[in-house]
Amino acid sequence: MNPDFLISGIFLCLAGTCAAAIISMIARGKARRRFAMLTLAAATAIGAATGAAAVVFRPEFQAAPALFGMRIALDPLAAVFFALLNAIACAVSIYAIAYVDGHADAYDVRRLDALTAVFMLGMQGVVLAAAPLAFLACWEIMSIASFFLVMADRKPESLRAALFYLIMTHLGAGAILAGFMLLSGGFMHAGFGWMAAYAQGLPDATLLLAFALFLFGFGSKAGLWPFHVWLPEAHPQAPSHISALMSGVMLKMALYGFLRVLLGILPPLPASWALPIVALGLLSAVFGALYAVVERDLKRLLAYSSIENIGLIFTMVGAALYARGAGLPVLADAALAAAVLHAVAHAIFKSGLFMGAGAIVGQLHTRDLEAMGGLAKRMPRFSGAMLVLALGAAALPPSAAFMSEWVFLQHVLAAVRTASPFTQGVLVAILSSVAFVGGLAVFAMIKMFGIAFLGRPRGAHAAQAQEPSIGLSAPVFAMAGLTLVVGLGAPALLAVTGFFGVTDGRRLVAGGGALSPFSLAAVFAAVGAAAFMARRLSSDAKHERAYHAWDCGQPTDASMEYTATAFSAPARFFFRLLLRSRKDVQASPIAATNPWIARKTSVLEIRQVWYELMYAPIVRAALFVSTQARRLHSGVIQFYIAMILAALIAALVISL
Amino acid sequence: MPSILKLLQYLFMGPQVTALRSVFGKDEEDAVVEAKGAELKAIIGRLYGGRSLRIRAVDGGSTNAEEIELTALGNAYYDIERFGLSFVASPRHADMLWVTGPVTRNLERAVRTTYEAAPQPCLVAAIGDGACTGGIWKDSYAVVGPVEAVIPVHLKIPGDPPSPERILSGILDALRPRTS
Amino acid sequence: MNPVSLTAIQTIVVLGLAPFAVGCVRLFKARLQGRRGASPFLSYVAFATLLRKQMVMPEDASWVFRLTPFVVLASALFLVLVLPLTTVGGALAAYGDLFVVAGVLVIGAVFLVMGGLDAASAFGGMGASREMTVTSLLEPTVILTFATFALASGSTGIDGMLASGLSVFRAPYLFPTIAALGLVALAENARYPVDNPATHLELTMVHEAMILEYSGPYLAMLEFASAIKLTAFALLIGNFLVPATLAEPGASLTMVMAAVAAAALKLVAAMAALALLESVIAKMRFYRMQEYLTGAFLTALGGLALALIQRAV
Repeated sequence: MNPDFLISGIFLCLAGTCAAAIISMIARGKARRRFAMLTLAAATAIGAATGAAAVVFRPEFQAAPALFGMRIALDPLAAVFFALLNAIACAVSIYAIAYVDGHADAYDVRRLDALTAVFMLGMQGVVLAAAPLAFLACWEIMSIASFFLVMADRKPESLRAALFYLIMTHLGAGAILAGFMLLSGGFMHAGFGWMAAYAQGLPDATLLLAFALFLFGFGSKAGLWPFHVWLPEAHPQAPSHISALMSGVMLKMALYGFLRVLLGILPPLPASWALPIVALGLLSAVFGALYAVVERDLKRLLAYSSIENIGLIFTMVGAALYARGAGLPVLADAALAAAVLHAVAHAIFKSGLFMGAGAIVGQLHTRDLEAMGGLAKRMPRFSGAMLVLALGAAALPPSAAFMSEWVFLQHVLAAVRTASPFTQGVLVAILSSVAFVGGLAVFAMIKMFGIAFLGRPRGAHAAQAQEPSIGLSAPVFAMAGLTLVVGLGAPALLAVTGFFGVTDGRRLVAGGGALSPFSLAAVFAAVGAAAFMARRLSSDAKHERAYHAWDCGQPTDASMEYTATAFSAPARFFFRLLLRSRKDVQASPIAATNPWIARKTSVLEIRQVWYELMYAPIVRAALFVSTQARRLHSGVIQFYIAMILAALIAALVISL
Repeated sequence: MPSILKLLQYLFMGPQVTALRSVFGKDEEDAVVEAKGAELKAIIGRLYGGRSLRIRAVDGGSTNAEEIELTALGNAYYDIERFGLSFVASPRHADMLWVTGPVTRNLERAVRTTYEAAPQPCLVAAIGDGACTGGIWKDSYAVVGPVEAVIPVHLKIPGDPPSPERILSGILDALRPRTS
Repeated sequence: MNPVSLTAIQTIVVLGLAPFAVGCVRLFKARLQGRRGASPFLSYVAFATLLRKQMVMPEDASWVFRLTPFVVLASALFLVLVLPLTTVGGALAAYGDLFVVAGVLVIGAVFLVMGGLDAASAFGGMGASREMTVTSLLEPTVILTFATFALASGSTGIDGMLASGLSVFRAPYLFPTIAALGLVALAENARYPVDNPATHLELTMVHEAMILEYSGPYLAMLEFASAIKLTAFALLIGNFLVPATLAEPGASLTMVMAAVAAAALKLVAAMAALALLESVIAKMRFYRMQEYLTGAFLTALGGLALALIQRAV
């Protein structure tokens, strides 16, 4: 395949996104706005096709042109993420047409659309960048654009979440900048390939410092524990299509950056350095899943689920690095394949879920699960798509996330047989933790779907809900279909991406067994058909009657249904040491003569534990240091002159 | 090993506490009124001869005397389970409704809802004098009337309360009439 | 006999034995209580009676309520098709991978939970939340138990685990793992000490509460599915203890019939053991379930550690 096609495809994509940004900014009127968004959709569709073609055909970009210091080239890793990014962005830009139309009074529409295009442009640039300076410039564009997007509805809590996000993302960007400076010796214009050669000669201490900085920088952007605290605040506050982009794509950009540094720039690391990644990944997964289980805000639940999935992906990446260092090449290859597949799967189902959540929240005007209910009866087709997405998020067969976990755990099991005792311990810990997290993820997703869609409507808005318009539901249907397609086509996808150790094109292969997702789905369908035929043949299908639910003879209403808090109560009780939920019941007696007749207030609060354990002391220390530093502002001019002199002497000493 | 054999022997061949089927219905005064005989036979015929029926016991406002007798039906002496009859919690699972007590005004809706929640075909048996005729509360202001004033009744078993033998023999005679 | 006919025979036998198994447990429990109990063949009549009944659907239920019995029955049928219950090397044995089987068990539980929630009653929600907790927290134990067997036998397919000639009596380090499998089976099938399948008190129900709103054929499907699961788990545990009676591809008709008869014997023995267990212990309070689940997990983990140590020395 001629690389010129791909290069022109990339140019068209970038130019189209820029054009969409400019058109959105100057356009007045719905038709022009729609045109801008369709331009964006077209541009990202071209980008997705280009990325897919680059993955499949792998052309050689020899004499590739440079754009503002960015060499236009797509190596396989970048191509996968470029295709993924643009595919999700295409769906989101179509969704944004109907979504922003429905919320035109809450947002400044032109700015929102323009910033969306700029956000996508930043992410495209991050993937395309081949030098640290360009990478960081596009990283900053991505972060600043998403900062403005999070506070798009200008509410106080959005502003607070956006500022929190800005601080965390800039701390991370600073760490990434420091890491790049260490690995490039200050030559920030040099390409990643030059840096890889330069990094071979660096001492171990420098490499360790750079590794730690990258782990913090990319980890905090991806939402890795304990740097994840901004994620549950920022993702719910953003408009839903932006949440979809942030959760589905931006977190993958952080993953891409981490993979690029680890695999492309740093030399092969010792196995023990990979253990912190595994540990942080497992902790993120556990805490993300646990907090998703007890959460009652729909979008916060999805945000915590993102943390959990990112934790799983980083566990797989860490396991890959550990296996490479411990001499288990098959596991290393397979874990990396599983990580990439899980990233693709998560991007698809999470963006689908966020877009669906946006459609629901738009109709019900609340994000609280306990004001929803009965939506499956009122919007049957849409709830079908959301059920497929929820089951995909729960990693149940035959969805894509299940395939990635299958690949990973099968190879972990195969490696346990032949590994050293310490490695066996690590692998067993990974196996049991991933299974545990999988169980909790099922809980959280079924809670989300069950409380929101099933039963009776718990509020007036829910009782009047309708099937969302085609502009809102078509992207959700597309994502639901993609979850199944990627799951069924996982072997082909992995073969095309170059992970030949885990697939033979039609089946996923591991040491102990093989799985063909397509045949598995066929068996499921056949068994389902058998159950249907059994019912049809054994009894009369028309013999039924409708009546209200069994209520023990007393009138019941929707307030007697189980709520989200009640549904997760056993989990909250079992994990109360980790969650430290606070339950407070205050009774104030009404009549002085009878203390039993009282007005009662009950408060159930779930706090983020590490917020108080880690962040509050750091903030207090920082405030303490800055309070002491204020002493330097003494107002005495001789003191200021002495400080200038001291700084000059110090600069001379350092430079000489 | 011998202890296991002894245990098995005790379990499967030991002294039988459970009374035999022929014990029930010996007394002549255990009279049973069969209302709607044709519909009863039709329902039983449809449900495979009534060999396995699930019962939902509904209390329409009784003195609990009948309830205690119904509870006794599950014990080792009467053992209602061996006849394929078992109690269930939800009327949607039920093939028979056993209503006890006269239907009070407060529980009239409950009895009616239970009957409508039970899938057809469903047999209704009125257990006890209060359920059959209203008993001593017959014309009370707090009582709607006997069960048949609220829902159709197929089978009545009088008594205040009827003994477990009478209940069992009445039900069994209605379901599987003895040819003698 | 070729694998396809072996699978067909296994399916017919297990589907036929499932109501008998439920009847057996009931009979043994009755005898242990000093009663005579109903004949085990009466449960066939019970299912047939249910199929003749009308269905009463709750007004607020959606299409998920209608889909649930089909998915639950389909997941149980899938287990019968892929697990080595009377034979190894069946036609669909390649799909009996341990992660797939664990996933299918979760799918069945998940749809039952959604069916309970869709009934819009407090009872359904109660059963749903409890069942979801038990299922999700049981997941690591299920994975670790089968992972230990996979480690010991070299195959991650459950069919392969038994075909490799793994026997607990020749490899005694597998006993904790069998015990963990037993604990998993009790929790998955809603038996003591996790749940009481014969209770009428809704506040003590876990599995029963979710099916309170189902009637007629849908109820028959759900109850049949739980009978199938009980039979499958009983036969699976019996096969892990005594795998020699399983028929293989190429066996003659007499050997297959002998395998079927052996499976029936294993089933009756397992049901007798279950009835004894249920008559001796009490159901645990639900808010102590974390003790049961942690105990099962630690048993499975200990079994895995033993298997690893055994391989190392």
